[in-house]
Amino acid sequence: MNAIEIRNLTKSYGKSRGVVDVNLDVNEGEIFGFIGPNGAGKSTTIRTLLAFIYPTSGSTRIFGMDCTKDSAKIKMNIGYLPSEVNYYDDMKVLELLIYSAKFYKKDCTKRINELSDIFELELNRKIDALSYGNKKKVAVIQALLHEPKLLILDEPTGGLDPLMQNKFFEVLGQENKKGTTIFLSSHILSEVQKICDKVAIIKEGKILKVEQIEKLRANKFKKFMIEFRNVDDRDKIAMPGIVNIEKKNSHIEFLYGGKINDILNNLAGMNVENMLIEEPSLEEIFIHYYEKDYEKGEK
Amino acid sequence: MIIFLRELVRNRKGFIAWTVSLVLFNAMMVAFFPSIADNAKMYDEMLKGFPKGMIAAFGLDKISMSNILGFFGTECYIFITLFGSIYAMLLGASILSKEEGEKTIEFLMAKPVTRNVIVTAKVANAFFYILLFNVMFSFTNFLMFEAMKTEDYSIKAFLMLSIGPLLIHLTFAAIGFLISVFVVKAKSVYPISIGFVLVMYFLSIMSSISEKLTNLKYFTPFKYVEASSLIIDERIEPIYLVIMLGVMTVSIAATYVLYNRKNITV
Repeated sequence: MNAIEIRNLTKSYGKSRGVVDVNLDVNEGEIFGFIGPNGAGKSTTIRTLLAFIYPTSGSTRIFGMDCTKDSAKIKMNIGYLPSEVNYYDDMKVLELLIYSAKFYKKDCTKRINELSDIFELELNRKIDALSYGNKKKVAVIQALLHEPKLLILDEPTGGLDPLMQNKFFEVLGQENKKGTTIFLSSHILSEVQKICDKVAIIKEGKILKVEQIEKLRANKFKKFMIEFRNVDDRDKIAMPGIVNIEKKNSHIEFLYGGKINDILNNLAGMNVENMLIEEPSLEEIFIHYYEKDYEKGEK
Repeated sequence: MIIFLRELVRNRKGFIAWTVSLVLFNAMMVAFFPSIADNAKMYDEMLKGFPKGMIAAFGLDKISMSNILGFFGTECYIFITLFGSIYAMLLGASILSKEEGEKTIEFLMAKPVTRNVIVTAKVANAFFYILLFNVMFSFTNFLMFEAMKTEDYSIKAFLMLSIGPLLIHLTFAAIGFLISVFVVKAKSVYPISIGFVLVMYFLSIMSSISEKLTNLKYFTPFKYVEASSLIIDERIEPIYLVIMLGVMTVSIAATYVLYNRKNITV
């Protein structure tokens, strides 16, 4: 059975686009990344799954149950981490976590203590007084404490420092081993590719591609920005694996998908003034890489 | 029940502040009665010299200040009706919308509860606090009456003066629920609620002053439970009861229906 099943989901808000004709399947036990730039429709899709908003057309199912009709029943087995964390200003951390636990008719004290130890969160502080990162930790614990079968995480890493992110991914890994399905959205592929089995790329409300993470890894691009002393050198650099070239005076920018050693050998004979190599943004990889698929989809 | 209990804690401060201040202020006012009663005849005479419109606006053309009921009706009743209604309306309009205004609704709706459960808990909680507020108010009011009266008064009329405000409070709260489906930002909820109650109060004054505007009385709950008619008739006009129950039923039913259909984005 699929943990999540989205069929022809369209959601529009009056004039503005939400998502268009989205189809997705998340298998049970999978860690599924939902990647796209801000405003692409990630939160819209997630909010439809949780029945905060209703589809304009199409359907969404979780564990075989309809997300709109059986929403309350479904949520018994869901842990949700919102992208923006907002809690009651009169509550302390522990009060909120206990309040949350009550809804699942379970004693979660043990789990609360375990998780607050892992994430180094003080339980007796007012939530209102916490920093953004610490509020996010509260939300993480709140999503995990009842040991749900499906975790829906909207931009989970924002606000967590790298150390906490690692701990968080570690915990997610453990949950996943116990059989928990994880659906997480992010606008940074590199951040989630470590733990995802599969990713879906969404842009402007449409799914561009659903891909095994293994496959994406094989197509790894790097972004090069090089400043040459001579403008002539700039045009000599052409070689297989270079795409998306942009030139400006003696400056050149491109994506390179071949072996790093090859390009370094090529550059060795030139007069390089300055060079920067970085991870291309998601936009850059996917828009380039899947441009053709995307255009086909348009037609 | 989880949400109801949580709301009990969350709204207790507002409840205590409104109840204590209105109960104390009212008790203080009623305590003035004995000194006024001595000179009541003089006051009644003096009032005859006042403009007719003003006297009508306060219902002084129908009741006398020499009885504690009449005194309460003219001097103190406004606190429980007007200020009590503001409290009730604010509570009704904010209890549901607060979750959206403060964006905590994402937390609540991710829990295994239906929207109906959420609305029911909130409505029940607002009604519970309004009822408790009225019981506390009327109980202390009764004690003050017993302590300060100079002659006997009609218990039935007293009960009417206690039930009347409760009914309009519930009516205002119910309208508040409905408004809060559409308006969720606290900075809009507050002025709209207070403004609505004040406009209703203004309408009730207008309908008392002007013959031409007398039909306004059907549009303002304040007119349904006017002190002078409750004291004289010792009952609430059936038509007004029907209107209030109708408004409450429709508002609450519409709140359930619309809240269930609403797309909630924060």
